[in-house]
Amino acid sequence: MKKVSIYRPTTVNEAIQILSQHGSSASVYAGGTDLLVRLKNRLEQAPSYLVDIKRIDHLRYINEDAQGGVEIGAATKLAELADSRLLQEKYPMFVEAIGKISSPELRNASTLGGDLLQEVWCQYLRGGYSCWRNGGYLCYGAIGDNSYYHSAMGGRLCYAVYPGDAATALIPFDARAKLATPQGEKELSIEQMVPGDMLVDGKIQSHVVRYNEILTSVVIPPPKPGVRASFEKLRPRGVWDFAMASLGISLQLRDKTIEDSRVVFGGISGKPYREKTVEAFLKGKTLNAELGEQAVSVALADAAPLKYNATKIDMAKGLLASGLARLNT
Amino acid sequence: MQTIEALLLEPVGCLAEFPSPPFHEIAVRLFGRKGKAIPSASVTYWRLLNLIERADRPFDAGKKSIVETLEVEAVDAASLYEDVVPALAELKSMGIRLFMASSLSRRAAAMFIERNSLGEFLSGVCTRDDAGGVKSAPLLNALGSASLPPEKTMFLTDTVEGIKVARNIGVHPILMMNDPDEAQRLAMHNPSGGVISMHEMPDFIRLLAAQNQRG
Repeated sequence: MKKVSIYRPTTVNEAIQILSQHGSSASVYAGGTDLLVRLKNRLEQAPSYLVDIKRIDHLRYINEDAQGGVEIGAATKLAELADSRLLQEKYPMFVEAIGKISSPELRNASTLGGDLLQEVWCQYLRGGYSCWRNGGYLCYGAIGDNSYYHSAMGGRLCYAVYPGDAATALIPFDARAKLATPQGEKELSIEQMVPGDMLVDGKIQSHVVRYNEILTSVVIPPPKPGVRASFEKLRPRGVWDFAMASLGISLQLRDKTIEDSRVVFGGISGKPYREKTVEAFLKGKTLNAELGEQAVSVALADAAPLKYNATKIDMAKGLLASGLARLNT
Repeated sequence: MQTIEALLLEPVGCLAEFPSPPFHEIAVRLFGRKGKAIPSASVTYWRLLNLIERADRPFDAGKKSIVETLEVEAVDAASLYEDVVPALAELKSMGIRLFMASSLSRRAAAMFIERNSLGEFLSGVCTRDDAGGVKSAPLLNALGSASLPPEKTMFLTDTVEGIKVARNIGVHPILMMNDPDEAQRLAMHNPSGGVISMHEMPDFIRLLAAQNQRG
């Protein structure tokens, strides 16, 4: 394992100071289920300084806010989200999605913040190849085996898919993220926080959180009346794997008429892929048995599969049909 | 890698899809090569350049005319990759100097630039006629004429020969990964980097600049 030094700050401000001091060679350490694996694999890009935020108060909670929404501390364990009665009552689709992340053992350690900001799970990066995210200047996934973990919607230097499920399930609720920064608190939509491969602080990463910023919480707005939501995920095996394709979908219905929708695919792109063409298509339509097939016909027209992953697009379209069918029952 | 100031561009395989038969035909008619043309124009072209480089004397007028006619035929049938113009425009706006450094003849290169309206993006053009040779000669000519530091210059290529030529003169060879299987083989020849498409070059150069700025 790569040698590291660990800081254990007790306040967010202290953590930010330490992160600012060490620049990109430091990283926030919470659940560690992604970070420690990268250290064990001795990746060039893995940090040398860990800032363990587990001793900081007020980062691990699930609270209902005054408006009827829910605020979740970024260090809250995925298992705690899956067991939350409050979340189950208000956002059962989100709880279903969390239950499909990884395995029960890992959900006991993984945090919501970690799932949202985790590193991509490309086998070339994890195998220590000198790729864009690991000190090199070439994407081996784009030219190698890209069956599972690479984008079918194009890329920006790196072609790995964004691996998290939580974002795919949160965007349909218009959830927002709060960040602590040296300049104070900053708020972004989840969609803005994980826009896909970005050049941030001289690195390629899936999110826009800078080296000296900390994701502190996620706020889900109150559930709207008439909203139905569904999450489904296809993966190479039943547990402990990332999505080959997933879909988080929400429909705002008046009787059977769709007034608004959010359609977000996971596992097919470098970001949670919001399919606005389908959202526009669905607006004003009647939710019925035929709608899925019609929606599929307009979905993912911008697909640009790599050599071995065109099947992801078929999977995603299948999930769109089945998601609409689930919401029609 | 240092912050990049200039790009050297060889049209064949990097800017446009060329047909391979005209280059094969030159090899057949001037060097007695046999067999059918292979599909890859880049490989055919660089093999031809090897033959030209090894030739013991320059082409006479008759042979030169044959070569130019067939090269012009290749240029005529070449189709520019759709991402090239936007990428060149963006690179130019970033202050990156763009040079065509090609082993094609002056006539063929000029025709390629004119047909594809690339002149406005280029800071200079060096051909085998300008450089008095092929392969590394146009590259060295471009470096010398514009005083480009090799360590701050990239050469885009999609062949092993191209990688070697760039390495030998101290320029960063950047692999154009047009075909995934071929790119896997070429990646083993240690290019400085690789891109799927020209549209990635601005981000590549921006990333290097950011990394160097952060030290």
